[in-house]
Amino acid sequence: MAHVVLKDLVKTYGSFKAVNDVSLTVNDGEFVALVGPSGCGKTTTLNLVAGLISVTSGDIVIGDRVVNDLDPKDRDIAMVFQNYALYPQKSVYMNLAFPLQMRKLPKDEIDRKVREAARVLDMTQLLERKPRELSGGQQQRVALGRALVRDPAVFLMDEPLSNLDAKLRVQMRSEIKRFHQDLKATIIYVTHDQLEAVTMADRMAVMNGGYLQQYDSPAQVFAHPANMFVASFVGSPAMSLIPLEASTANGGAVLTSAEGWSLALSPRNAQKVARATTRKVVLGARHSTIKLHKSAIAGAIPAKAYTVEPTGDVTFVQAFLSGAIVNISVSPNVAVAPDEQIWLEFDQERMHLFDSETQMALEAN
Amino acid sequence: MSTVSETISRGRSARRVRIDGWRWGGRAFLVFMLLYTALPMIWMLLTSIKSGFAAMQFPPQWWPDQPTLDSYQKLLDPQNSVGQDFLRFFWNSLIVSTATTILSVIVAVPAAYAFSRFTFPGRNFLFFAVLLRNMFPAVIFLVPLFILMRAIGLVNTHGSLVLTYLTFGLPLAIWLLKGFYDNIPVQLEQAARIDGATRFQAFVLIVMPLSAPGIIATAIYSFIGAWNEYIYAYTFLSKNEQLTLPVGIQRFFSENTTDFPGLMAASFMMSVPVVVLFLLLQRYFVRALTEGAVKH
Repeated sequence: MAHVVLKDLVKTYGSFKAVNDVSLTVNDGEFVALVGPSGCGKTTTLNLVAGLISVTSGDIVIGDRVVNDLDPKDRDIAMVFQNYALYPQKSVYMNLAFPLQMRKLPKDEIDRKVREAARVLDMTQLLERKPRELSGGQQQRVALGRALVRDPAVFLMDEPLSNLDAKLRVQMRSEIKRFHQDLKATIIYVTHDQLEAVTMADRMAVMNGGYLQQYDSPAQVFAHPANMFVASFVGSPAMSLIPLEASTANGGAVLTSAEGWSLALSPRNAQKVARATTRKVVLGARHSTIKLHKSAIAGAIPAKAYTVEPTGDVTFVQAFLSGAIVNISVSPNVAVAPDEQIWLEFDQERMHLFDSETQMALEAN
Repeated sequence: MSTVSETISRGRSARRVRIDGWRWGGRAFLVFMLLYTALPMIWMLLTSIKSGFAAMQFPPQWWPDQPTLDSYQKLLDPQNSVGQDFLRFFWNSLIVSTATTILSVIVAVPAAYAFSRFTFPGRNFLFFAVLLRNMFPAVIFLVPLFILMRAIGLVNTHGSLVLTYLTFGLPLAIWLLKGFYDNIPVQLEQAARIDGATRFQAFVLIVMPLSAPGIIATAIYSFIGAWNEYIYAYTFLSKNEQLTLPVGIQRFFSENTTDFPGLMAASFMMSVPVVVLFLLLQRYFVRALTEGAVKH
């Protein structure tokens, strides 16, 4: 196993910058998820690490070697593809044996390793089958086996679960996580699904537009999103982002809405707002930090319920505030009807404030 | 209630009748096409086993009174002059067609792969330029190519034909193969390269076997094209010992007036290699090799 370092990595296609100055370190044995919407540069970054495309500038270090100019085969990596990329003309056994044959291992050692990998992944009885005779989950497992049979320094995974149905995806998610824990493998895992990143990764690198937005543990990213993009991308349903204006009233800081209402801020939040480059501030709140009241109370903001979505455990209520959609979760025994008048109370401790110019989170020092 | 179900069932049966009408029409059309293509060949076979006299009879003998293999014996006998000529023409055709086939596969496979996988300046222009030749009837190039061949001293050589057939067959071969490579997911090669193969190994070990049906289809296409070509062979070759089958048969039998059974026997034997090739390799045309390779 080895660590991976990306230093000021850039990849351009003509004038289009697919990857912009991405720098990050993946520690030995760490599970890192590259996550972002499609076209954010995460797969390009992974392909750069794999050596399938060439670096425009910057460095990639695997272990202690700069691998920029090495062929994929010399980088000591294994990769699991979204479409599995199993060799269709080869049996499962030969698929697993291929990386070992390419390394010219003796036949009996290949046989031993292939059977060992098949045993670990519980597919000994599938060895003679062709990929097309396997189910999606089994194909996925073979792809994983082909990666692990070689004992590489780094595992690269490109959306390995996207082609599975929802139930199987949850199952394979825990299998891959278990696989990481057992092998202490260094894994770089690309996904567009923030839930996969949050549930599996030690650290997640959120990307957008070719830029690295935030690189931290899922808990940190969730609790302290660095900017509005990360705030809206991580978490489901998304964090509500309400554009407001900062002003003072009665000697305290308040956020006022064009709709006429205003929200008094705690001293700590007032401090954050004071650091903004503009008076236009965005209030961010996760659904679980907003309290829904059915009658007016001090400090709560009036709104109208728009949709009500019961999910069983919780019911999500959507409302409009200052033109933004606000998600609120309530206990299923709270009855709310669409178009009903409600009052929303924001948790000062757990609200986020963003500078609408820089889009960055405002911090209190 | 009953009226409703009656209407439904009437509607159904009406629809079924209409579909059946189309289906029977289609079958009738297919039967017609089958007869249209098969009858001349059957007549060719029947004539080839008649005696010269029986072949000229009117009304025709539908089934020969005295079937004979004389014509075949004569054509395949290296001792007599007819057989010598026929076998030589056959051999010439085989050489020209095989050389054309091998060269066209050798050129088309890497060319198609490059068009499919790489982006390079002028890629689109080149790709459509290879089709330029096919936009004109072949005869248009007859005189220019003849002058060209004379200038480089290839007239009266089989090389002139191989070169010409290549320029005709390659464009389509490249297009056909590019389609095959486009359908092979690039991730297979990427996986192979990560698994330890060089780019070339990934191509030879993973992509080539998957494109075998395409390569075989291309090869058959080139072979048949070269095997049947007449007008260029007729123009470029004048020496009797160099002629290919189509020209040879035509010239030989116009000299020997009208030995129809002999002509039909020669024609039949000329079609044998093509038919055999097809029968041997046809399963590759229908085999969906990449099925199950990736999930779409």
